[in-house]
Amino acid sequence: MAVFRSIGRRVGRRFVASLPALLGVVVFTFLLMRVLPGDPAAFFASGPNAGQEEIDELRRQLGLDRPIPEQLVRYLYDIATGHLGRSITTGQPVVRDLAERLPASLELSLCGLVLALALALPLGIIAALRPGSPIDHGVRFLCTLGVCVPTFVSGLLLIYAFYVLLGIAPDPTGRLDIFAAAPPDITGFLMIDFVLVGDLAGLRAAAAQLLLPAITMALFVLAPLARMTRASLMTVLGSDFIRTARSIGMTPWRVIMVYALRNALLPVLTIVGIVFSTMLGANVLVEKVFSWPGIGSYALDALVASDYAPVQGFVLLIAVLFVIVNLTIDILYGIADPRVSIE
Amino acid sequence: MGLTRRGGLKAALGTAFGGVINTALPGTAGAQSRAETLRQVMGGTINTLDATTPGATREAFGAGMAIYDRLASFGRKQADGVWTFDFDNIRGELADKIDRSADGRAFTFHLRQGATWHDGTPVTAADVKWSLDRAVSAKSLSAAQVATGSLTKPDQFRIAGDHAVEVMLDKPDRLALANLCTALSPMINSTLAKKHATADDPWAQAWLKENTAAGGAYMVESHRPGQQTILRRHDAWKGGADGKPSFFRRIIVQTVPEAATRANLLERGDADLSIDLQASDISALQARGKVKLVAIPQTNGFTGIVFNTRVAPFDNVKVRQAIAAALPYDDMYKAALFGRGRTLFGADWSEAPSSAFPQKLPLRTDLAQAKALLAEADMASGFSTTFAFAAGAAATAEPAAALIKEALAKIGIDVSIQKMPDAQMTTMAVERRLAFFIESGTAWLPAPDYFIRTYFSGDQRWNFSGYKNAELDSLVQAARFETDAAKYDAACRRMITIVAQEKPTLMLWQPNQDAVMAPNMEGFTYWFHRQVDYRDLRRA
Repeated sequence: MAVFRSIGRRVGRRFVASLPALLGVVVFTFLLMRVLPGDPAAFFASGPNAGQEEIDELRRQLGLDRPIPEQLVRYLYDIATGHLGRSITTGQPVVRDLAERLPASLELSLCGLVLALALALPLGIIAALRPGSPIDHGVRFLCTLGVCVPTFVSGLLLIYAFYVLLGIAPDPTGRLDIFAAAPPDITGFLMIDFVLVGDLAGLRAAAAQLLLPAITMALFVLAPLARMTRASLMTVLGSDFIRTARSIGMTPWRVIMVYALRNALLPVLTIVGIVFSTMLGANVLVEKVFSWPGIGSYALDALVASDYAPVQGFVLLIAVLFVIVNLTIDILYGIADPRVSIE
Repeated sequence: MGLTRRGGLKAALGTAFGGVINTALPGTAGAQSRAETLRQVMGGTINTLDATTPGATREAFGAGMAIYDRLASFGRKQADGVWTFDFDNIRGELADKIDRSADGRAFTFHLRQGATWHDGTPVTAADVKWSLDRAVSAKSLSAAQVATGSLTKPDQFRIAGDHAVEVMLDKPDRLALANLCTALSPMINSTLAKKHATADDPWAQAWLKENTAAGGAYMVESHRPGQQTILRRHDAWKGGADGKPSFFRRIIVQTVPEAATRANLLERGDADLSIDLQASDISALQARGKVKLVAIPQTNGFTGIVFNTRVAPFDNVKVRQAIAAALPYDDMYKAALFGRGRTLFGADWSEAPSSAFPQKLPLRTDLAQAKALLAEADMASGFSTTFAFAAGAAATAEPAAALIKEALAKIGIDVSIQKMPDAQMTTMAVERRLAFFIESGTAWLPAPDYFIRTYFSGDQRWNFSGYKNAELDSLVQAARFETDAAKYDAACRRMITIVAQEKPTLMLWQPNQDAVMAPNMEGFTYWFHRQVDYRDLRRA
């Protein structure tokens, strides 16, 4: 119990400490959007007889006719009361849009990350055990390839191969086949919802839909994970306690998996945190290619249209997620290495 | 076995064509087979269910046409094997008879007997009156549009019986009736809408963004903006030309942002229709022959090179004429559009031969003349300027810009090319801070005087070049009320001649609307709003 209370206290303290940073992010994004040369009212006043009158009316509806400090105060008040404004691009409240789209992005990023880790850790370990061998070179080649090929190219290639040519992948549009029935919206994570209602066919369909985009994302983040595993493990393998462990006749398996790997994991965890945050915000291209209704493509569309509210909401959300991810990683540090504390 | 997606689809298709086994698609009602479902994929978003909402996207106009009825509708005509809307042939939609008074100042609309809203309640004259009042009173896109047909105040609309409404005009505006056919004059179930009106929002605009109170050919089954909208057929609808319900029982309109993915879906036969594919994908798809391409020039649109006539040096007509004489029109057409459209350059006249507009204009390449004109403008040594285009139009604008830069260098004009994000470009164009750029436009009502009024006079955004010409302005104002056909024709020809001589905008071409569809699709029609009208479509 005491352990949980201490963790709870730490978490609380971290959140309070991150508030000024979040406020800074909010104000900065707010001002940045207004500095950008693009007027949402002018852009959306697209009626067949759009004149100054229509632009002014739209500006009034958006509250953009007020002085900027007043807009900022109103915006901060809205955030404090749980409102993030309304998107003109979709016509919906930003909170609802983000709530609907965040699970999609999280589901995709998490699956991509799990796939990437499942590949990168073994590859990194093998490469570290046999540095300079053909296996090591093979892993390096694969990683280089993953980094070099932009995600939209690998995504389109995967679609072309598995959907267009072979016809074994489902059509790459969104999270679920358009003709299939969606599960009741319980968590927003389709696969979990399908499991909850016990619809295994649905689960399979959702997983099939997720596979190609997740592979695309995994390929892209394979390199930092595998390279970091390799480098970190090699350093550890050269250290004194490994030599001692080997000299007293421990099995190589035990030496590597228990003593070396656990000690090598800290830098990998750091990278996992960074990679995951990046995946969440920067998977726009994957989302676009696979028509994935995630937050990245949502924010990009809004940015192109100078639609302030969604962009501001997106940045705030990513900032909050970043805080949470960092916190999680810090807690995981403690588990991987009891000497580390997040105080 | 689990219901694999493709398996399910094939079974459904098999059912539809074979008609033997009675399986259904997962999640749909029994009779709605794949063959009776239309799946359109598009890059844009339907951001409101009420097309009159300020900020509505073009896709929202298309959806509005299917969901709502209007009092009247343009007809459609077939020419060169393709269907286009017929502006000169107006029929009743919610009205089954339209009487026009002898002086052209009053229209009486007799509503179709037995017409119902989606909720089954009958359509009344009071609903129509409320809808028309809303169009002219609410702060929406409608007011500015219907004003172009002299419809400006509620007392112009009068209930003339249970099933008749009279529309009165001060002057016989040529476009009054046409304005009641556009996406901005929807007929709304006023009983339902009024339940959701508030003191701040007497016209239920907030509610109608996400809900419908309509009686058109389709009702909304589900609407997820930015993802998909699903429409279900209104079986009691009788507003079509033949009075029958539409062919497709279900329409799935899905946003698929990546154009290459849209092309793949069509090629695999998983999607039925897309009107916004990339030119390069279209030629590849055509070569492989698995889809049908219907290419229709956008007869009410144009792409043009715009001069800001309110700033130097483009306020000088000689400079505009010099540039017009220097541009390589044919090369631009081929490089930018791959010849997919109808040209508007290359004519040889000094007085407009007809009143049709847009028509081919006297734009021809003549470098010697260009140099002479520039010298006459005291700019023989040339000048520097910037040519701008929006990133969203880069596919066609970028090659055109490169050719413009190259051609103008020959007469001493140094052009730097500026590509900017769409919102920024729009903002600068609205504020008239761009000097020289490429733009596209469409006139919903392709009457020559309306076209010229919209694009070459006044202060509204669509007068891209900020052009002002006293003679043109007075002609344009007179023409809209001209009842004598010959006089109207002469006025239009004079206006076209002015535009051709003064060159505020060099109208280059009308790009095709390239509709790519499944081979068994029929009836696709090009409409003024440049979207798909699902009511025309059927599967052979």
